[in-house]
Amino acid sequence: MGEDRENEIDDALVRRMAEGDEEALRELIVRHQDRVYGTVARMIGGAGPDVEDLAQQVFLRIWRAAPKYRAEAKFTTWLMTVTRNLVFTFCEGRSKRMEVSDEIVDEETEDPILRKESVQERTPREDLSGKELIRAVEAACARLPMKQRLVVHLREHEDMDFSEIGEILGISELGAKSLMSRARENLKIKLSAFLTEPS
Amino acid sequence: MRKKRDKVGDGAESLGGELGKLWALAPVPKAPAWFAARTIARLRREEEGKRCWFALPRWVWIGTGVALLAFGWFRWERQPTIQDSEVFAALNALVEEDRESRWWAGL
Repeated sequence: MGEDRENEIDDALVRRMAEGDEEALRELIVRHQDRVYGTVARMIGGAGPDVEDLAQQVFLRIWRAAPKYRAEAKFTTWLMTVTRNLVFTFCEGRSKRMEVSDEIVDEETEDPILRKESVQERTPREDLSGKELIRAVEAACARLPMKQRLVVHLREHEDMDFSEIGEILGISELGAKSLMSRARENLKIKLSAFLTEPS
Repeated sequence: MRKKRDKVGDGAESLGGELGKLWALAPVPKAPAWFAARTIARLRREEEGKRCWFALPRWVWIGTGVALLAFGWFRWERQPTIQDSEVFAALNALVEEDRESRWWAGL
C-alpha cells in the first residue's frame, strides 16, 4: 500500500518535471539520490568523480525524458533501468581502456573462466582486520560480472523482487534468479576463506 | 521506499546466511549532501549552453540561417536570364532609332 503511495508521489513529480518544474526534480533527486548513487558506486567500485558524474547523468536523463514518461511500470524500475544503461555503457568503455578484472568472463553465461588470484591466497583469514575484510568483500564484488553484481545489489540492498530485477536487466524473472544463483556460487568461491558454513 | 520481498517465496533466492552477512559488511556509499544542488546546477549549465541570443535555442538561429541561404540561392538561380540575341536586338533598335531621329532632324 505504502509502496503504491510512494510510486504515486514519484509519478506526480515526473509530471511536474515534464512541465519544467525544477523544484520537482530537486525533490525527486532527494528521494532517490542514495539509491542511484549507491548503485553506481557499487557497480563501478567506490565513490569518486565518476560516480557523481554518472549519478547526475541519470537524473538529467530522467528530466529530459520526463515529457515522454508513461507511468506503465513502477518509477523505480525506470530509474534503475536508466542507471543500468549508463553504468553498463561506462563499464564497457572503461574495460576497453584498461583491464579492470583479472578474470576472463564467458560472454554467454557470465561465469569466470580463469581466475588468476583469489582473495584466499592474498589475505589469510587470521590476519584480517575489519577494514581488510570489507576490502576483500569489495574486491569479490568488483570481480563479479556486471549483471551478477547488479542482481546481487538490487536484491540484497534494494530488496527488489526478481520480476522487477528482470525488467531492469531486460531478462525474465527466471533469468534473474539464475544470475543470482551464479553470483552466490562465485562469491562463495571468492570468499571461501571467510566462510565457516560448508558450501 | 523499500520493497519488502516475500520471505517465504523468492525470499529464499538471496545470498543468505554467512555470505549475506559478509556482503552486508561492505558499505554502500550514500550521495553527498550537496548532490542535489550540484545536479540542478549542472542541469542549468547544460540548458544554458543550448541557448544563445535572445534566449532562443541555438538550433533556431542555425535553422533560420540555413533557410535564408537556401532561399537566396534559389532566388539567384531563378532570376530571369537575358539571351545575347535579345541584347543585340535591343542595341540595334537603339541605333536604328537614333539614326531615324537624326534623319528627321536633317542631320
